[in-house]
Amino acid sequence: MERFVIIGAGAAGISAAQVLREFRPNDIITVISIDEHIHSRCMLHKFLGHERTIQGINFVDPDFFEKKDIYHIPCQTVSKIDTEAKLVCYGEGYNIPYDKLLIATGSGFFIPPIPHFREAPNVFGFRDLSDALKIDEAFGKGKRVFIVGSGLVGLDAASALCHRGAEITIAEMAPRVMPLQTDDYAASVYQKVFEDHGCRFLLGIGASDAVVDGQGNITEVILSTGEHVPCDFIIMAAGVRPRIQIAQASGIKAERAIEVDDHLRTSAPDVYAAGDCTGLSGVWPDAMAQGKAAAENMAGIDTPYEKPYPFKNTSNFFGVTMLSVGRMDLTEGADVIVHKTPKEYKKAIITNGKLTGYLSLGDISNHGLYLHLIKNGIDVSDKKDKIFRLTFADFYGINEKNGEYVYTV
Amino acid sequence: MKRIFIDPAKCDGCKNCTLACMASHSDMTPRKGTLEELRQAVYALDLTDPATQSRNRIISDGKGGYKPIFCRHCDIPNCAAACMSGALEKNMETGLVEYNSDKCAACYMCVMNCRYGVPAITPDRTRMVKCDFCQHLEEGPACVRACPKKAIEVREV
Amino acid sequence: MNSCTDCLSRNTCPSADKPMENYIRSLPLETAHHRVAAQETKCGFGLQGVCCRLCANGPCRITPDAPRGICGASADTIVARNFLRAVAAGSGCYIHIVENTARQLKNTGLHKDKIRSEKALNHLAELFGVTGTDKYDLCVKVADAVLSDLYRPEYEPMELVEKLAYAPRVKKWKELGIMPGGAKGEVFNNIVKTSTNLSSDPVEMLVSCLRLGISTGLYGLQLTNLLNDVVLGDPEIRPAPVGMNVIDPDYINILITGHQHSLFTYIQDRLLDADVVEKAKAAGAKGFKLVGCTCVGQDLQLRGAHYTEIFDGHAGNNYISEAVLSCGAIDAVLSEFNCTLPGIEAICDELKIKQICLDVVAKKANAEYIPFHYETRQADGDRIIDEIIAAYKERRGNVPMNLFTDHGNKNTLTGVSEGSLKAFLGGSWKPLIDLIVAGKIKGLAGVVGCSSVAYGHDTLTAELTKELIAKDILVLTAGCSSGGLENIGLMTPEAAELAGPNLKAVCKELGIPPVLNFGPCLAIGRLEIVATEIAEELGVDLPQLPLVLSAAQWLEEQALADGAFALALGLPLHLGVPPFITGSKLVTKVLTEDMVGLTGGRVIVDGDGKSAANTLEAIIEEKRKALNI
Repeated sequence: MERFVIIGAGAAGISAAQVLREFRPNDIITVISIDEHIHSRCMLHKFLGHERTIQGINFVDPDFFEKKDIYHIPCQTVSKIDTEAKLVCYGEGYNIPYDKLLIATGSGFFIPPIPHFREAPNVFGFRDLSDALKIDEAFGKGKRVFIVGSGLVGLDAASALCHRGAEITIAEMAPRVMPLQTDDYAASVYQKVFEDHGCRFLLGIGASDAVVDGQGNITEVILSTGEHVPCDFIIMAAGVRPRIQIAQASGIKAERAIEVDDHLRTSAPDVYAAGDCTGLSGVWPDAMAQGKAAAENMAGIDTPYEKPYPFKNTSNFFGVTMLSVGRMDLTEGADVIVHKTPKEYKKAIITNGKLTGYLSLGDISNHGLYLHLIKNGIDVSDKKDKIFRLTFADFYGINEKNGEYVYTV
Repeated sequence: MKRIFIDPAKCDGCKNCTLACMASHSDMTPRKGTLEELRQAVYALDLTDPATQSRNRIISDGKGGYKPIFCRHCDIPNCAAACMSGALEKNMETGLVEYNSDKCAACYMCVMNCRYGVPAITPDRTRMVKCDFCQHLEEGPACVRACPKKAIEVREV
Repeated sequence: MNSCTDCLSRNTCPSADKPMENYIRSLPLETAHHRVAAQETKCGFGLQGVCCRLCANGPCRITPDAPRGICGASADTIVARNFLRAVAAGSGCYIHIVENTARQLKNTGLHKDKIRSEKALNHLAELFGVTGTDKYDLCVKVADAVLSDLYRPEYEPMELVEKLAYAPRVKKWKELGIMPGGAKGEVFNNIVKTSTNLSSDPVEMLVSCLRLGISTGLYGLQLTNLLNDVVLGDPEIRPAPVGMNVIDPDYINILITGHQHSLFTYIQDRLLDADVVEKAKAAGAKGFKLVGCTCVGQDLQLRGAHYTEIFDGHAGNNYISEAVLSCGAIDAVLSEFNCTLPGIEAICDELKIKQICLDVVAKKANAEYIPFHYETRQADGDRIIDEIIAAYKERRGNVPMNLFTDHGNKNTLTGVSEGSLKAFLGGSWKPLIDLIVAGKIKGLAGVVGCSSVAYGHDTLTAELTKELIAKDILVLTAGCSSGGLENIGLMTPEAAELAGPNLKAVCKELGIPPVLNFGPCLAIGRLEIVATEIAEELGVDLPQLPLVLSAAQWLEEQALADGAFALALGLPLHLGVPPFITGSKLVTKVLTEDMVGLTGGRVIVDGDGKSAANTLEAIIEEKRKALNI
């Protein structure tokens, strides 16, 4: 009987636990997590917006652990891994032995070195349920919110608090909102819809200092322009960093992220890593896929993990939906084709006959194939004239044996 | 598991499967799914309302042929793997990729991740739409029974 | 070759007539009842009426992703256009019939031919206000009055409308601006209207349907009956055999299909001439018999009192024609209009049945076309007779017989018309009105129109009729619905047992069935005369009467034109399936709701006999209440 231990109960950790149980019905599987409740961090805004309860943002069945006969040790911090003795050390001096270990500690929010920001008790991240709970509490005391960063996380937080009547200011260093996913037009659409809901954007502007009160709480943010913006609390959404403290404390190779090979093995024997902590990708589906691949390798099924394609996202704010895949920023030497109607906005970037970027604002139904085309570098040079109307019909193939589709290119 | 097998050579592009799908999921949700029930539901379809959505699509190949696009309920479903709310899950017993709209957070990761472009979004942007194999119908997928050319059929795989 | 070895294992559609259902299922030949299964899948766009193929950009179909056709036509426009086209075509059919009928009457007058009812002629002359030097001249004058109206341009109002229609209705129609112009012109004009990129105004097109309805109803229906009465004789109430038992294999049997009884006048008389009977005898038969099928059979049955010798009886409606031919004892089909199903072609080939077509509009692919010309009718008639005798000789003994001698019944009450019924009641509508007022008869329901098979042969018609009579509602029928209902015995006096207690008592006392057979679909016009006369006697308008109509199993475009007349008359009209309109909210609303405010009529769609009967009963009760009865 083998003992599998997983640190972390996010997408990668849970997906790994699930897959391990499929392949190893009788072995011992243990998940240790800081979190008390399993939750989808991509749905934190639903919790913060009071649209859903904690249970409502659980992405597995409430009786997931019982049903799958997996031990869950919640609310515990792992301090170190003894890779020699094969022990995970957690809490106040507890150890748990493992035969195979997965580190799936995810990533944490990052606070840039702005005076007072790192120390102030009213500066929050928006990564975990614990963050959301803290924000929720702070929101009970004051409704003026200053958000640093207008990426998906920042806008998630903004949209959640908008619903609850917050007075929101969002500072973004880049000249437009969601700079990684949008172009100027798409950004302007989102900016407008947030402004219509009462948010104020400060674009191309950063926070450079702060005014604090006696408890060290920031009461005013001082902008790079010198303007003072009074606030009750601050949400940091200016980027994340892989959580590598445990790995580093245990002698596992990790500089910016935990280093893994093509089987998601770390430098320590029988220790694997998956999800955001590997720095390979920061999106949910990839974390799920890594958790699955790592689990298969841990279970002895040789599963090479292909590097994910990280440039992809969808967003849905106030019913404005967008799909953005590929590099919208790389347009040099490329054909940029734009289609714009009152209801839709689409943009395709074609480089050397291949689709390298695709953005669609509006009805994104049935758009999944664009990610596949970009990720796999499929030649579309003969399909430029219908680039916005491509469907799987253009690459249609059927596996006669099992009836599944296959791409014909 | 069962899968709807497609013979595109037989498809005439009549879109009866599309209307059958709409009818099966309309307010007049038939219970058994007999052609008679479906016909009654088809009469009542509002074909000018974008909320009347089909889970399948028939696409002309521009050369006189048609390519039916139906959810494959893939062995390894990318849509479910991408779902961050737990709304989409592969049911290991039935083999179907099932959707629980109560859980759905309308993030549309599923839309992005289905390489065949099956998942659609609702006009109110609160749900996704994909084939549910007409599990609410006693007689199984409405589209299959509605196809006059027998271009689609349910087979065990 | 269409006989199929696996017919027994294949489904045929259900029929209200169970013995017939079994007979058809056992046939070695394919019929419409067999083809239903393979056509079970209906095109949804077609069902909703939102497919348009008026131009080469099409077919365009309305979907949420494509709410307009390429030209920009909305669902409302496409549906209304398709609907108006159908109504115009249906109107054209009936106008064709009345045109030929009027020409026949005119020729009868010009050639001083046999007139069977001077009473009917004088009635028309009086109605039209025309006089003549003698009865033959009167025929010419009456026919000319009709023909000149039919041939008027559409911008010229037809003169007889005000003479034929009930005054309060005329007033209403004038208010609505739907007084029809020349009937043929109306058809022409509305076909133009519905062509590519012409009218896109759904409301105007629906109003045009009402105009077409009026010209169809008054001319195509009412006048065809009245003109035919002159030449063919007035209906007389009598019991008659119905169903396939009427076929006597010892005779040379001719199945007649169509709607234009007057085109058979010559031949049906000629077949009884001694020299022709001798020819038949020489061929080995006892003589000739006509076997009724479709509406022209109903018309012959209606006037059966005049044709006891030549007419065997009515075998069944349009969807029985294939079965009737399959029995082997039919030697020829004489057809002049619908419903002559293309499906009979293969059966006729297989069983060597001679097909002769008298009117090119009903030309079957393998029929010999011998057009009816009054001038050459004698020579043509003899040729037809000789060819039929030849067919008889060639086929008898060489094709299998599959008789169905116990099908149907012997005592169906036939011959009911506005005239014969009134005479039966003692020359006045008062007895009937008294029964209605006293609640012995709750109301009247016209169960009219066609027979269809896609959702069961006559099943809805029969179910609805049984439900209605059980609610003490007297049912009057006209069209192929009559054929279905008579074969299952609902028009025999014994059917009184199926009626509600009050109606049953009335039927028993008068010795009549609870379902009265007015004959062919043309006789819908007779029902409407009955309704008008009752309304007149009561001093009310038609929409106030406790009268409902149902074309439960409407089949054709003609039925839609009839239906438009019912709506123009202000009557509630039940249909079993929607007339391909549900794709348009506007058209559906106008026909099912707003029409009440316009003419008083409305369409009720319900495929369930029980609930439809409940709805119709509720309407009747509502109207009784409003009349304080």
